[in-house]
Amino acid sequence: MRQDEVYGQLAQVSDPELDQPLTELGFIGGVSVEGGTVTVCFRLPTFWCAANFAFLMSADIRERVSELPWVERVVVRLQDHFFDQEINDGVNGGKTFAETFPELATGNLEELRATFRAKAFLFRQECLLRSVLELGWSEEAILDVRVGDLPVILLYGQGKVLAERYLAILQERGLASDATAPAFVHPDGRPVAAAEFRAHLEHAQRTRFSMEFNAAFCRGLLKTRYCETEEITAPDRSAGTRDKHPRLPE
Amino acid sequence: MFKTADGAEIFIIDGHTHLWDASPENCLNKYGTGFIDCFHGYQKFLSPPEYVWERPVFCKYGPEKYVKDVFVKGYVDVGIFQPTYLKEFYKNGFNTTEQNAYLKERHPDRFILNGSWDPRDGEAGLDYLTSLVKRYAIKGVKLYTAEWKGSSRGWKLTDPWAMRYLEKCQQLGVKNIHVHKGPTIWPLNKDAFEVHDVDEAATDFTELNFIVEHCGLPRLEDYCWIAAQESNVYGGLAVVMPFIYSRPRYFAEVMANLLKWVGADKLLFASDYAIWEPKWIIDKFMDFQMPQDLKEEFGVDLTLEVKRKILGENAAHLYGIDIGQHMKKLANDAIAKAA
Repeated sequence: MRQDEVYGQLAQVSDPELDQPLTELGFIGGVSVEGGTVTVCFRLPTFWCAANFAFLMSADIRERVSELPWVERVVVRLQDHFFDQEINDGVNGGKTFAETFPELATGNLEELRATFRAKAFLFRQECLLRSVLELGWSEEAILDVRVGDLPVILLYGQGKVLAERYLAILQERGLASDATAPAFVHPDGRPVAAAEFRAHLEHAQRTRFSMEFNAAFCRGLLKTRYCETEEITAPDRSAGTRDKHPRLPE
Repeated sequence: MFKTADGAEIFIIDGHTHLWDASPENCLNKYGTGFIDCFHGYQKFLSPPEYVWERPVFCKYGPEKYVKDVFVKGYVDVGIFQPTYLKEFYKNGFNTTEQNAYLKERHPDRFILNGSWDPRDGEAGLDYLTSLVKRYAIKGVKLYTAEWKGSSRGWKLTDPWAMRYLEKCQQLGVKNIHVHKGPTIWPLNKDAFEVHDVDEAATDFTELNFIVEHCGLPRLEDYCWIAAQESNVYGGLAVVMPFIYSRPRYFAEVMANLLKWVGADKLLFASDYAIWEPKWIIDKFMDFQMPQDLKEEFGVDLTLEVKRKILGENAAHLYGIDIGQHMKKLANDAIAKAA
């Protein structure tokens, strides 16, 4: 079903601030398919959500859905947002952020994306570090883990998922090509030294906690705003199933 | 004032309150409607159901309701008015210093009236700041970096004009700078909530106190780092406090982080009335116990002494209030008599 394929693509679009798929956050209001034209209704927790993140997500929606071979045209419809008109016109017209907001922006969103990708990196790493620490691993054992060990350090359930998610973001950043390289590194690839392990862990913990809190806040606000009694998270329709985000207590 | 079961009396300063007018008559455009709807969403999301208001009252509740909710029901002794102007969205402003002054004039010992400034007002704005000090003897300002002005969508504390205003504040004795970051900033491609300008400002102006509202959420981790380094950076707890009802575990984790990194002496209770009512927040806060695992992991606790500091002593220190003397003043004022 073409709708399912579209949802499969949308499941690959994340909120850059929260590192979670839009389909799990409840941000997709609906999808309609008419021939080769796909319209995606997109909504956010508040009228005043930051325009730059809203633009990033809208542009990513358009890009991902356009990857489907039968799609000729994608129309993104951001709703109930202070710059919805401007963002829809810009994204659907194939404009960059700077072109969409010529008076208000001095550049595009690469820096913003990079900043938040680094936070997501720390989030995923911290979740994994916490798991192995809870299992009783020593700091030396942890710092000794190599990239090539990651697929097998935790073999069951949630732990396995955490290791996979961390490996995926290492790969995304080009930090997984050498299987003998240390697994636990800074976002820029420098290994974490023994002397800085505690401080690094605390920094990662604060980052993870902050993002987790923000995600809970955003999910809750969205649910309140759209008064939905139905299940907020769309059923997982993607081909390669991804678990719901681990480590999110309610 | 809150009285514990053992008879201890806790003096309470609500660090962030408003007397706003977002009635349809005062709304200029969709931005104004969207703004108040956003606030109402926060109320609906985090309040116990019996404390959710109908929209018309929420848009404009008036001074009598403020007094009843905050002082009579709400245990609060002194409310700090933190103005939010938004004259691009509301004809007379959302809640300006002048609008808030109505209640300050009627109950002077019950309120701390703060002013506001916008560095994009240039020289004229510096004159306005001086006039606020002359007229209202303000000791603090609330700054909203996301405020729109003409075609501008926001500013930073490190902008050259902002630095001039901070110097002026230092000269005039306006010591308490409450900083509120919002969703728009110039340029729009930057993160609007980024808190590092507070770090720079706090380093450059050591005589001023920088109170970061809602502890820099959604950049809590960066705020904690900055507040740990800078002795003149404080945290306002509006937006954090209401999680105590619907997400008590998150509330506990936030408080554990804040107590560890920012410290019990630098956190200020606030309800952000009328987004949330102080009564239910304070009831729950006084009952609240820090979970054992967090006490151990972070080495902190929410003792009665810590709660006392957060609820009133820290703000009293910033605003030069002698709690003992002030409690005597309020014991028989018009509001105490009416309660």
